[in-house]
Amino acid sequence: MSLYQLFGSLETGFIFGIVALGAYLTFKILDFPDLTVEGSFPLGAAVAATLIVGAGLNPWVATLAGGLAGFCAGFVTAWLNVRFRILHILAGILVAISLYSLNLRIMGGPNKPLLNVETVFTAFEGFGVKSYIINPIVLGVFALAVKLALDLLLATGFGMAMRAAGANPAMAEANGVNVGRMKLIGVGIANFLTAIAGALFAQIFGAADAYMGIGVIIVGLASVIVGMSVLPSRTIMLATAACIGGAILYRLAVAAALNADFIGLQASDVQLVTAVLVAVALIVQQSGGRVLRAAKRGGRGNDPA
Amino acid sequence: MIRLDDIHVTFNPGTPLETRALRGVSLRVPKGQFLTVIGSNGAGKSTALNVIAGLCRPAQGTVTVGGQEMTHWPVHRRARVLSRVFQDPKMGTCEDLTILENFALAHARTRPRGLRFAVGGGMRADAAERLSGLGLGLENRLDDKVGLLSGGQRQAVSLLMAVTGKTEVLLLDEHTAALDPKTAEFVLDLTRRLVADLGLTAVMVTHSMAQALHTGARTVMFHRGRIVFDAEGAARDALGVADLLDLFRREQGEELADDSLLLG
Repeated sequence: MSLYQLFGSLETGFIFGIVALGAYLTFKILDFPDLTVEGSFPLGAAVAATLIVGAGLNPWVATLAGGLAGFCAGFVTAWLNVRFRILHILAGILVAISLYSLNLRIMGGPNKPLLNVETVFTAFEGFGVKSYIINPIVLGVFALAVKLALDLLLATGFGMAMRAAGANPAMAEANGVNVGRMKLIGVGIANFLTAIAGALFAQIFGAADAYMGIGVIIVGLASVIVGMSVLPSRTIMLATAACIGGAILYRLAVAAALNADFIGLQASDVQLVTAVLVAVALIVQQSGGRVLRAAKRGGRGNDPA
Repeated sequence: MIRLDDIHVTFNPGTPLETRALRGVSLRVPKGQFLTVIGSNGAGKSTALNVIAGLCRPAQGTVTVGGQEMTHWPVHRRARVLSRVFQDPKMGTCEDLTILENFALAHARTRPRGLRFAVGGGMRADAAERLSGLGLGLENRLDDKVGLLSGGQRQAVSLLMAVTGKTEVLLLDEHTAALDPKTAEFVLDLTRRLVADLGLTAVMVTHSMAQALHTGARTVMFHRGRIVFDAEGAARDALGVADLLDLFRREQGEELADDSLLLG
């Protein structure tokens, strides 16, 4: 693997690290498997790109606007689930499908190039460092900031309520937590993060594309699973770090798989490689969990309950 | 403090499985009273508790607690006024959170939750002090996840959590039923002590006649969705489990079929 590829893996790794933080919030904290991200990732990109190119808006403001659009998408998914009791996975698929049409409308076509316009990365040009080196650093700082913000949020009274709402809804309600509202806000925040990541992705690669959301959910989930099975994740701070670490590890693994010429894989095989990686990680986690549980049960044999 | 007026609850109305769980139950629990509720399976005792807690909406009738009519309030809104301990020790605490974080969660039950740190101020010292009263050494394990505790320990922690904050009404749903006899007695003693010390209004549902008669100040018995027996003071003190069974036979003209009431 060349240095260029390494930095490339870091770059996309940090972007999908932000997606992974969102997936951690929905899958792990709220116990709400959210598929909306397949639509909110390109939504963030579409909104930001259209605002930058079409309206000449400041790229930072446009990125934030993309994030807010993502929040709304997540909110709708959670609302369908909380208010109308539509299965969470189905609610997410419905919103993601509708966003596909919506993104085409927003961009006025299947994609929106971002060439020769000011992006959030323009500000960091001209430090005498090549963009393929400075961009991963900028994104790394950004991902770290998001991680710390999430850590802080989950340590507040509000965050504690959100964690309880996911882990034990009946107990949370008995302690005065409005579980429905926690889902609305939590899934909203997760899609806010995903949409921000989508907006950054478009600005790095020079275009927003209606198809760029395919497989985002699996990549986000893969990062969480890989990260939490390889890295320590006992506390929230460690777990969020593991999400970002997992995203980078996952990117490196994919790059390595595609690089190994003897396997004969090509770039278009990336989704297949991803699916296999996730399946293997899940199987390993399952069997590992079984061993752990058995050990625990043995150790708690005298438990009165 | 707690007032149920003519409560009717029907499960699966209009289907072959239709069950009339409560048929016109009216009950008043004055402030500071510790009421125990007994009845066989399906008598409606747990349903009555769930109606107070908001888990079950009555088809008819009103629920009033502390002078506020709350028949249509959601569970989380009622939590400001009343707290609960569940039968399953796993339900009352959140196993992914530490003991201290669980306390922080319970601490915020009667207050608005904000963006301040959940665990703050003198909370650690306060939780440690409360836990040390149990004599289980849990005050030294504040940062352990609750999932590491035994069922009895978790139930004791649930009980302490339920009485933090400005709690006035405590609902106990067979909270010792899942524990071994020794641990159950420990948790029951703790319950009696906390309710007396804090002057709480409490309702305890139980399967055990002996437990019902030896705890609190008043006992009611449910049967087929109605209250069939209500005793307090000297009349209750004079009662034994055998008397209660006799009384039940006379009232209902039938034998008690449920062994669990006798064995408890």
